[in-house]
Amino acid sequence: MIKPRQSPLPGMKMVSRSGLRVVPVLAVLVAAVGCGRTPPAAFRLNMVQATKSAAPEAGMEKPWAGWARERQAQVATILEAMFGTPDEPVALAETGLDHAKLALAAGPVRSDIVGRKNGLYREHCAHCHGISGDGMGPTAAFLNPYPRDYRPGKFKFKGTWRDARPSRDDLVRLLHQGVPGSSMPSFALLPPAQVDALVEYVRYLSIRGETELALYSYAEQELGTDDRFPETREFLVDEILTPIVEKWQGAEEAAIPIAAVPANVDFSKPGDDPANRESVARGRTLFHGDGGCVKCHGVTALGDGQANDYDDWNKVIVEWSKEVSGGLAAGKSDAARSAWLHAAEDVIEGDALRPRTIPPRNLRLGLYRGGRRPLDLYRRLYTGINGAPMPGVGPSGPGGKGSVPDEEIWHIVNYIRSLPYDFDGELGVDRPLVAKDRF
Amino acid sequence: MARRASASPFACPRVVPVAVHSVPFSMKPAAFNPTHLVACLLVGVTAVLLSFGALVTTYEAAMAVPDWPATYGHNMFLFPMAEWLHGPWDLFLEHGHRLLGALAGIVSLVLAAVAWRTDTRPAVRWLTVAAVALVVLQGCLGGARVLLDDKTIAKVHACTGPLFFAVAVAIATLSRRPADTAQVGVARVPVALLVAAYFQLVAGAQLRHLDAAVDPATFRGLVALHILGAVAVTVLAVVGAVLLTERGSPAARLWSRVVVALVCVQMLLGAAAWVANWGVPSALVSESWQWSEPLRARSVWSAGVVTGHVVLGMLILAAAVVLAIKAGAVGTAAAGERDAHLLPGRVFA
Repeated sequence: MIKPRQSPLPGMKMVSRSGLRVVPVLAVLVAAVGCGRTPPAAFRLNMVQATKSAAPEAGMEKPWAGWARERQAQVATILEAMFGTPDEPVALAETGLDHAKLALAAGPVRSDIVGRKNGLYREHCAHCHGISGDGMGPTAAFLNPYPRDYRPGKFKFKGTWRDARPSRDDLVRLLHQGVPGSSMPSFALLPPAQVDALVEYVRYLSIRGETELALYSYAEQELGTDDRFPETREFLVDEILTPIVEKWQGAEEAAIPIAAVPANVDFSKPGDDPANRESVARGRTLFHGDGGCVKCHGVTALGDGQANDYDDWNKVIVEWSKEVSGGLAAGKSDAARSAWLHAAEDVIEGDALRPRTIPPRNLRLGLYRGGRRPLDLYRRLYTGINGAPMPGVGPSGPGGKGSVPDEEIWHIVNYIRSLPYDFDGELGVDRPLVAKDRF
Repeated sequence: MARRASASPFACPRVVPVAVHSVPFSMKPAAFNPTHLVACLLVGVTAVLLSFGALVTTYEAAMAVPDWPATYGHNMFLFPMAEWLHGPWDLFLEHGHRLLGALAGIVSLVLAAVAWRTDTRPAVRWLTVAAVALVVLQGCLGGARVLLDDKTIAKVHACTGPLFFAVAVAIATLSRRPADTAQVGVARVPVALLVAAYFQLVAGAQLRHLDAAVDPATFRGLVALHILGAVAVTVLAVVGAVLLTERGSPAARLWSRVVVALVCVQMLLGAAAWVANWGVPSALVSESWQWSEPLRARSVWSAGVVTGHVVLGMLILAAAVVLAIKAGAVGTAAAGERDAHLLPGRVFA
């Protein structure tokens, strides 16, 4: 007779052996969840722009969904022909991109030669910036600010004119110093050759993304519902690609001029040092006056001014959402428009991150995302931040005139550098946390 | 009967069974037990093997060697030592992981041979067979992961490793003393803890081997699953410790506390791993507490924290295995029965 097993611990029930056998079976089942080969990486279309640009003409008779799919398929085909795939990128000679560097950064992470690692972009960047460089990697929704979407070709922290593309040196510097206060790390520990390869791949993704945007823009303005993109070299390379590449190549010559540092500015000493008091006072006057900084950063520079604005990446989604929801609320005029609006709604929900406002920086914290060197702050002030509401106080382009003379910008830099120390006592005894309290 | 009717982990009378508490740890040296010795060796080798495996994933070094079972055309065991030790870090990790895997396989085979020759207990014997099967499967999965360069296989490989480690620890624990195996009784809470600890590793493996092409919603779901798993493991560890403090054997009490301590450290490491990867979550702290220094990709600190989180997860699983066995052990073997499981001629003490 088999004796029933009893628990050695009163109150704790025994688990039967047959029950225990379920555990490894369950484990194998769980391990096998999602089994099936990982599909090869593919670029995603910019569905926001693809759908936005595919507004149907009034009285369109074709079913909208099928027509839109056909157009998207043509864009995907063109882009693959011009730029290849994430595993096998193509660099047309006209792009000026270095194919060897692209090959090092592209594809899955692997080494075929001892000491040479390929797939650097997927190893270091894709989890946040996405395979397509759309800022929609798996981790993107958790990060604040969202990872950069390279496709519009806009970069915030650079030493070129506001609307110019960043130079290679700008991107290398950004990778070296990271973006403090965000999830973008410093890659200073990577060998320079790997950083160069990553920079080249980011440029590639940007050029590819801008080409895609240019195609949608062309379609919106030039193509009727029965038209297809001309698949000719003259159109695709000369008309679409070349202007984009010229902007990137021109970036190397588009550095802003750096004015000489005035004699009464000594960045080796803190803001309350007698050597700097005059300069800091001048900077404060400009900050509150001609510089117009207080509008967003607030009179106390705590970043408590206007805070309901969006950067360009989010603004696209916000404005288009309003347009779509307005169209849906107004009722549908015909089947094609109704299908388009509903597709747009789905794209906004599924292919875009929820828009966030961009708060002005609290300058009392000593936290400067674009770098904390005086030169970095000078550049931020001179050109503003491309893609963000922050305007520049310098001229918008060569030969222009800014709201603050170039040399005077150094005084604002000096004043900003003094703010974390609360030397001016502006915040009073009930002041909120500033940088010096953290140490 | 009344007591049995109310037998639940939370509502039980404070009656301590004589069998558990009247027999303290025996100080008498047990017989030399070769199975236990080899099993302990296997646990040690596997712990190092899994640590290497975790580092391989942290540094994305799985494809540092493109062929398998050869290493850059060399027989795995004949690959030049100097190139391995002084070559690239990725190569050191991946090739080292392979060598350790081979060593774990050899030790598993020895363990099975020793167990079937010297130990009569079916549980111990068949677990050694399971260990051999798992280590072979794991080796094949590792090879397939390299030859097919497939992340799905990498995930399965990452889930099988801890399973093998759990089996090795179970063999070492069960073979230690006959008292533990007189009846492999297992209580519900420690077993639930064991299962939760394993599934937590599975969830972690999905995050670690995430395909960059998946959408943010999938990642969000996996993070939520991992956090829920952490809550489950913590609750089960604490409940188990409370119950076993009142009614468990000294060994079970000790191990339940070890698990709680490890889980506490693991929570901190988990948070640190997040910060090392993505910084302080802006939703949890104000901008005033954001670091003014950037994160550093591939720093020793960040790699250590992330890898430590994985390794500690495996140690929690190991501790949960021991706890499940200790909590279920009756510990009633009399001194004279102590070595009864050993085959004649195998008792040396």
